Amino acid sequence: MIDTFQERYENRHEYAKQWKDKTGGKVLGYFCTYVPEEICIAAGVLPVRILGSHEPQDVTEPHIFAMYCPFCRDCLAQGLEGKYDYLDGISIAQSCLHIRQAYTSWELHVPTDWSYYLPMPHHVQSPRAVPYLLAEYEKFKKALEDWTGNKITDDDLKRGIETVNKDRQLMKQVYELRKREDPPLSGLESMYMVVSSQLIDKGEHARIVEDSLKELEDRTLGRPVGQRLIILGSENDDHEFIKMVESCGSTFVIDDHCTGTRYFWDQVSLNGEDPLTAIAKRYVNRVPCPTKDWPVRTRVPHIVSLAKDWDASGAVILQQKFCDPHELDIPAIKSALEEEGLATLFLELDVTVPIGQFKTRVEAFLEILDEEDLF
Amino acid sequence: MISAGIDVGAKNVKVLIQEDGKVLGKGSVLAGLDMGADIKEAFDAAFKDAGIARDKVEKLYATGAGRNEVKDADDSYTEVGADAAGVAYLYPEARTVIDVGAEEGRAIRVDERGKVVDFAINERCAAGAGAFTEAMARALEMPLEELGKISLTSTKAVPMNAQCAVFGESEVVSLIHQKTEKRDIARAVHDAMATRITSMARRVGVQPEVALIGGVAKNVGFVESLERDLELEVMIPDDPEFVSALGAALLAAGIAK
Amino acid sequence: MAKYKTAPLKSWERAKEIRADYYRNYAAAHEKGGLRWAGGAWTFDAIPAGLGDDVYPITSEPYGATIAFQKDFSDRCLQAAERAGYARDLCAYMRNYWGSILLNEYGWAEPGEERKPFPKPDFIWQDHICCSHAKWYQVVSDLEGGLPMFCVDVSVGPYEHTTEHGIDYIVGQMHDGIEWLEKTTGRKYDDEKLIQAVYNTCRSTSTWAEICALNQAIPAPLEEKTMYSLYVLGTLQKSSKDVADFYDELLAEVQDRVDNQIAAVENEQTRVMTDTQPPWAFLRVFRYLASRYGTVSVGSLYTFALIGNWIWDNGKFVPRPTPQSQGVEIKDRDQALRVLTEWELSKPEWQHFYHPKYKSDMMIQIAKDWKLDGVMLHYNRGCEGLSLGIAENRLAILESGFPVMVFEGNMGDEREFDEARTMARIDSFMESLGVPKLD
Repeated sequence: MIDTFQERYENRHEYAKQWKDKTGGKVLGYFCTYVPEEICIAAGVLPVRILGSHEPQDVTEPHIFAMYCPFCRDCLAQGLEGKYDYLDGISIAQSCLHIRQAYTSWELHVPTDWSYYLPMPHHVQSPRAVPYLLAEYEKFKKALEDWTGNKITDDDLKRGIETVNKDRQLMKQVYELRKREDPPLSGLESMYMVVSSQLIDKGEHARIVEDSLKELEDRTLGRPVGQRLIILGSENDDHEFIKMVESCGSTFVIDDHCTGTRYFWDQVSLNGEDPLTAIAKRYVNRVPCPTKDWPVRTRVPHIVSLAKDWDASGAVILQQKFCDPHELDIPAIKSALEEEGLATLFLELDVTVPIGQFKTRVEAFLEILDEEDLF
Repeated sequence: MISAGIDVGAKNVKVLIQEDGKVLGKGSVLAGLDMGADIKEAFDAAFKDAGIARDKVEKLYATGAGRNEVKDADDSYTEVGADAAGVAYLYPEARTVIDVGAEEGRAIRVDERGKVVDFAINERCAAGAGAFTEAMARALEMPLEELGKISLTSTKAVPMNAQCAVFGESEVVSLIHQKTEKRDIARAVHDAMATRITSMARRVGVQPEVALIGGVAKNVGFVESLERDLELEVMIPDDPEFVSALGAALLAAGIAK
Repeated sequence: MAKYKTAPLKSWERAKEIRADYYRNYAAAHEKGGLRWAGGAWTFDAIPAGLGDDVYPITSEPYGATIAFQKDFSDRCLQAAERAGYARDLCAYMRNYWGSILLNEYGWAEPGEERKPFPKPDFIWQDHICCSHAKWYQVVSDLEGGLPMFCVDVSVGPYEHTTEHGIDYIVGQMHDGIEWLEKTTGRKYDDEKLIQAVYNTCRSTSTWAEICALNQAIPAPLEEKTMYSLYVLGTLQKSSKDVADFYDELLAEVQDRVDNQIAAVENEQTRVMTDTQPPWAFLRVFRYLASRYGTVSVGSLYTFALIGNWIWDNGKFVPRPTPQSQGVEIKDRDQALRVLTEWELSKPEWQHFYHPKYKSDMMIQIAKDWKLDGVMLHYNRGCEGLSLGIAENRLAILESGFPVMVFEGNMGDEREFDEARTMARIDSFMESLGVPKLD
């Protein structure tokens, strides 16, 4: 069952097209995990995250200056090359400038019926953020209603919340299993699980996770676990890279990525509150993207506790080349982890990674960790 | 009128002599440290080739990065202007000019009169220029001509992330270690470079017809990759590396404006 | 024989004086019991003004540019920041600034004197629209061993879609910020000083726009290289009375230059504009344009509107009239904060953060009304905020019929600027525009 996730990830375009044929519903492509899927689902829309393909391309240079991150350029390339021609609409919630350019250039050059920019506040540590976001959600909800022709009731919103919450809670159970001395799934399998949740119907995804949980109950990797690692940084669905690291005698047991824990860690808690407020609170209080993590860097202690709770011995810090928000946190994260006795390896992701070079560095890093184990 | 154009490039100095649009002679020398001597040597070679005496040349225009070193030139044009003039003469139907030289790639859009409308130049990086293929040929321990030829026999596209010539070289090395066939590596090198050049060309907008000039136009492997990327056939003159010098000579004679 | 008469700017000395006082006062604040604070050029400096007249700011972007002018020092600063683990592609101003903290050298010194140790601020007061703004100061705080910090998020969408709840969000943060300032500094807040500072902010930013509007004249009374030294005062302290008064005087002088056809470039034959911060260590590019081609850069959306405030009026891009000139009288703190918020939200250089189309429209209008022959875009690797969407701006400007050239560089890191190749590119561009060389 666990391998279903990879299949869904690889065939994401086919999946979305079939979903449309089957349900007659609209598919919304979104650019950042701050877009509230709960509200989209309440409107009967399938939200799918727009991702890159990790293939070299030559179509974005007229649109995005090369100093912006490879991820945003890779995403835009998918649109310009027509790979997302089935989308009925696109949306972004305000986060970093890089991915925003993929969205605005997409809007300018890829014909799309509906487009929505959601000004998600940055000052999430301010008490003023929730009321502001709530007012923006009211507008967003209205726009979705006008677009789909579906009135979104509180019951719809509650259903949206329950659907997404359930999937989140189940994925967290899978993550709990990764605490085992012999984790039942690899970091790669885990990545496929989380990323596919961003691509397919949430209810269906939750059912696959439920089935996988049974399968994982007494599963092992069938190979030595090796060094237990945490992987963290910006967007990462570079399966080639993860596979390579895990083939060198290590296993990723936990992560802090928006294609990992940052996406699903926090639940919406209703607690008798009106559903939109509850959703707004969730997105304001979720584990933040670094661009919103100020004045206090709340992610630093969070990452340290993930590393400790999952018993990681080393950290692979990855970032998309040119990702300023992450670059501004990395020195602080690195020193916090090292203070806790974790060795760190820093690597920069491009559209495709030079596997050969990275392998040499990963092997050297794992060697250091192995030597430390001797003492 | 007999006129001459000299293109003082980063790697070669090229002279072309023409009369009423007909090429009389050409000369090319590798650029060394003594620019003055190179310029003289290139002139001597061209005059010898043309079989005429130097005083027959009524006008001389210079182009290329080192054009200001040509003290006796009557005027000078930039590489962009000279490229456009040369191509407009050879291929009046061309709307896009792609010039890939040793250290720089350029794309120029020209209108129906051969006037420059827009241009783009590769930024500070050898990955989109001839120096890149030369370095990769060295890494593969084969002559440059061979790199182009075996590339044509490849049937497999291997992605390569050549954002930079230095990383490109280490990628080639790791491909060799992974026992990738040399012909496939050769194609990967040309594909990567073609992606860079196409990216740049798309900045000015690729409008047919497209003329490809500069020394790298002689690399058949690169040409194949570029045509695949652009999804069209490019026009290549016989002496693609002399088009700038030709343009300068034509501008000097007033044949091009 | 020159085409036009020219003359140096009389206000020049006063501009230099204001700038020197600014850096001197910041450094000396503690000597008289005053306070020092740090923030960005876009921060709401009018708000800390309510803490008293002895409270002095340092804004990091112009400070980073000041360092960039000093090539050797800048090089040491950049290397120090890199050694501390800060990536090379981060904001170049900040890397200069952080480097000067790490080296403990103040990037401004009295003429002929050695650099003094960097004067540590007492608190940080910043705003946030670019995805790094507030984060810059987390680093500053780290490097200074911890500093109290308050940042106001202003990213509530483009001005044409301003909402009541968006203004409430910003004003709410400002109220919280004032309470925080009182608590942090132990000082009592003076609303009257805030109100005056808000008036000053509107006056200085509106007047600077009026000055730039005069550059529509042929010949242009100002060229961009000079404008850099003038607009910078607004980036230092737009809320100060000195700066607002200076712009009033400058406006009169520039008007006089227009009336008397006094040119900035005596052989003006071609007019261009640029975009984004220039590579500060290479302003001779502008001298080359002027002397070789008689080309004047009349400014840019950057010089006009990083600080200057403009508005669309009947399809024209015009200086925004101040609230006080429209009869608005500010009576209390809340109103002052609302006026300030509403004023700053229309800042042209904030609009492209939401979509490149806003910036393209303004640039095309400038190209038309300032009578330009071409546009030179600086693809600035040093600033992700202002380079945002620049490639789309290029396409839109080309589409509107104006020729465009681009050159890559970095405002604060000279290692990323290739002077020879940029000059070569300028030659090609001027040639393609058919501009004759001046001999």
